[in-house]
Amino acid sequence: MGALLEYLDQEPWRFLISFGAILFLSLNLAAILTLAERKVAGYIQLRHGPNRVGPRGLLQPAADMVKLFTKENLSPSGSDRWVFLAAPIAMFLPAPLIWLVVPFAPGVVVADLNIALLFFISITSIGALGVIMAGYGSRSNFSLLGALRGAGQLISYEVPLILSLLGVAILAGSLSLVDVVNAQDGGFWNWYFLPQFPMLIAFFVAGIAEVKRIPFDLPEGESEIVGGFMVEYSGMTWAMIQASEFGLMGLMSAVSATLFFGGWQPPLEFLDLGTFNWIWLGLKTALLMFTFLWIRWTLPRLRMDQLMDFGWKVLVPLTIFWLFVTAGAVLAFPSIFG
Amino acid sequence: MLRDERRPESAALSGRETGRLANPDVRDEFGLETIDMNMGPQHPSMHGLLRLILELDGETIVRCDPIMGYLHRSKEKISENRTYPAVVPITDRIDYLGNMHMEHGYCLAVEDLLDVEVPPRADAIRVLMCELMRLASHTPSIGFLLLELGAFTPILYGFRERERIQDIFEAVTGARMMFHYIRIGGVKADLPEDMPERIWERVESMEANIQRDFVDLIEGNEIFVARTRGVGKMTQEKAIEMGLTGPPLRCTGVDFDVRRDYPYGWYPNVEFDVVTDTEGDAEASYRVRLGEIKQSVRIIKQVLEKLPEGEVMADVSRRVRPPEGEGFGRVESPRGEYAVHVVSDGSDIPYRVHYRTPCTVNMQLLQEIIPGHYLPDVMPIMGIVDPVSGSWDK
Repeated sequence: MGALLEYLDQEPWRFLISFGAILFLSLNLAAILTLAERKVAGYIQLRHGPNRVGPRGLLQPAADMVKLFTKENLSPSGSDRWVFLAAPIAMFLPAPLIWLVVPFAPGVVVADLNIALLFFISITSIGALGVIMAGYGSRSNFSLLGALRGAGQLISYEVPLILSLLGVAILAGSLSLVDVVNAQDGGFWNWYFLPQFPMLIAFFVAGIAEVKRIPFDLPEGESEIVGGFMVEYSGMTWAMIQASEFGLMGLMSAVSATLFFGGWQPPLEFLDLGTFNWIWLGLKTALLMFTFLWIRWTLPRLRMDQLMDFGWKVLVPLTIFWLFVTAGAVLAFPSIFG
Repeated sequence: MLRDERRPESAALSGRETGRLANPDVRDEFGLETIDMNMGPQHPSMHGLLRLILELDGETIVRCDPIMGYLHRSKEKISENRTYPAVVPITDRIDYLGNMHMEHGYCLAVEDLLDVEVPPRADAIRVLMCELMRLASHTPSIGFLLLELGAFTPILYGFRERERIQDIFEAVTGARMMFHYIRIGGVKADLPEDMPERIWERVESMEANIQRDFVDLIEGNEIFVARTRGVGKMTQEKAIEMGLTGPPLRCTGVDFDVRRDYPYGWYPNVEFDVVTDTEGDAEASYRVRLGEIKQSVRIIKQVLEKLPEGEVMADVSRRVRPPEGEGFGRVESPRGEYAVHVVSDGSDIPYRVHYRTPCTVNMQLLQEIIPGHYLPDVMPIMGIVDPVSGSWDK
């Protein structure tokens, strides 16, 4: 955090402009993802998805946005108004904040924090806080249950999420995402998804739980608690919650790509595009986002106790075991893994 | 503290003792309370019109009171004010996913009253249509079960299969849902010329589709198994005590099927197995429905092979005026046993019609089975019943 503030102090204008650009990117990504989700769902479900607004439905997100802007913001009587209104903001902020530390191309990163991984872990947890605030502020049984599930889910998946990052940190020898990407150069066989495959699975699964999507969308659980923490939201507040979910989904894909698939590194060296290497990051992120959508429209939802079982009895032992394997390998063969 | 003052009232409402508490010791020690939650009638998973009053201890359900009646349409009273043939379209609207069976049951009852012999071809076509109806009902209902577990996609695969059968219905009866096809004394019209081949083709491809889109996708799925195995488990004794019929009964292992045990229509001429399972949980009910789909395909193929020639309507006057007496018809609808009891006073209007709809009875298992389960388990337990609002409320 200190480094970020220092950076802000040195070049405030550059920071503000890049933050604006990042916010723009995050919001647009969310908008594109809403369309992508409905299109992918459509083709998985033998239908076309939205295809009326604009060519092939491409302007659907804009139409949705106009609709949501013009809707009334209701807050239920007896709700804790400020908590209720602050919750969507708390949920929305993490995604654009974390984009700050993601390297897009060689030398293109808003803030090269030396503790980027810690930053990532701490900022994502704010989203869960927003869920609890929303559930508490809404004064509805359904919301309250959703919030409690959100809290329970937080403690079950945050631990494997953190542990799965440590293997990468050991291999790269740094907590900075720029260093992590630089350590994976020289072709796709150097990417960390090969030596860290169990960690990748754990990270991705915990990431789905983080984003609150099926099979871990228990705080929403639309078939039993009808949207859970967001059941009382409407109009723009609801749109912000949705945008936060999709923004976070895009971000988790980008972070997975950065940590395990070499970030902007091209798969083979002769494909190096220089500053345009962000295309590689974009491709990898898009593939991972598609995986998110694919899982969402295929699997049923787990139950709360089963989620906790899975988090504590499968993911935590798996990540700890692989953490020791990684550390042992680095210590035993410093010439290969060092 | 424990809302004792409200418990007796709701217990009286449901006609049973208050539910068991998940962990009463902890509650007393910390002075924690249970919360009452209204699920429905405006709830996406309550099939439109069911209200469950749940008492929750955390996520554990302590008490469940199902409140029905939001779709009560006085079917029985309306039936007392119409001529005999005019009741048939009323029955269509009872269970709107098993319309053919609803018509069939009523027509059997009136034919019993009139003592009419239905021509064999009409009987065979009735069986054919009823089994197609079962396919059109079971495929979406498996999808509904998955939908309520959170998997949105299979229901659309289910509806695709239903749609293909509805095409057949449309060609044969002229309607997609409210058919008014089975009439007193036979069926409305003969099959169109190329229909047997078309039906054969459809059910043949259906078997493959079911295997690919349901069996391969769902059965081995860890999450599906985790969510349904052991959920809503009931014993044979309990199921019989509650008066369950249809798949909820057969999934506990009771070998009862009206089609075989009290044969009606053309069923004695076809061979089929009664699908049962031993587990009595949500997964077993899914397997039973899947098995019944295969058996229905088998029955349809046999009927198409042996379809008799001849008339499709017996010589029944348009102004049906049965003698004084009682008529009874029972059929195996997709959701269980459906029975109709018609009492005649000799006029052209029934004196009394009673519909024994399967869901009304099967829904009893909700308040018996749900307490003790977690909140998300309500959905697979509803999936055992496969409720249709029209069927539980009449």
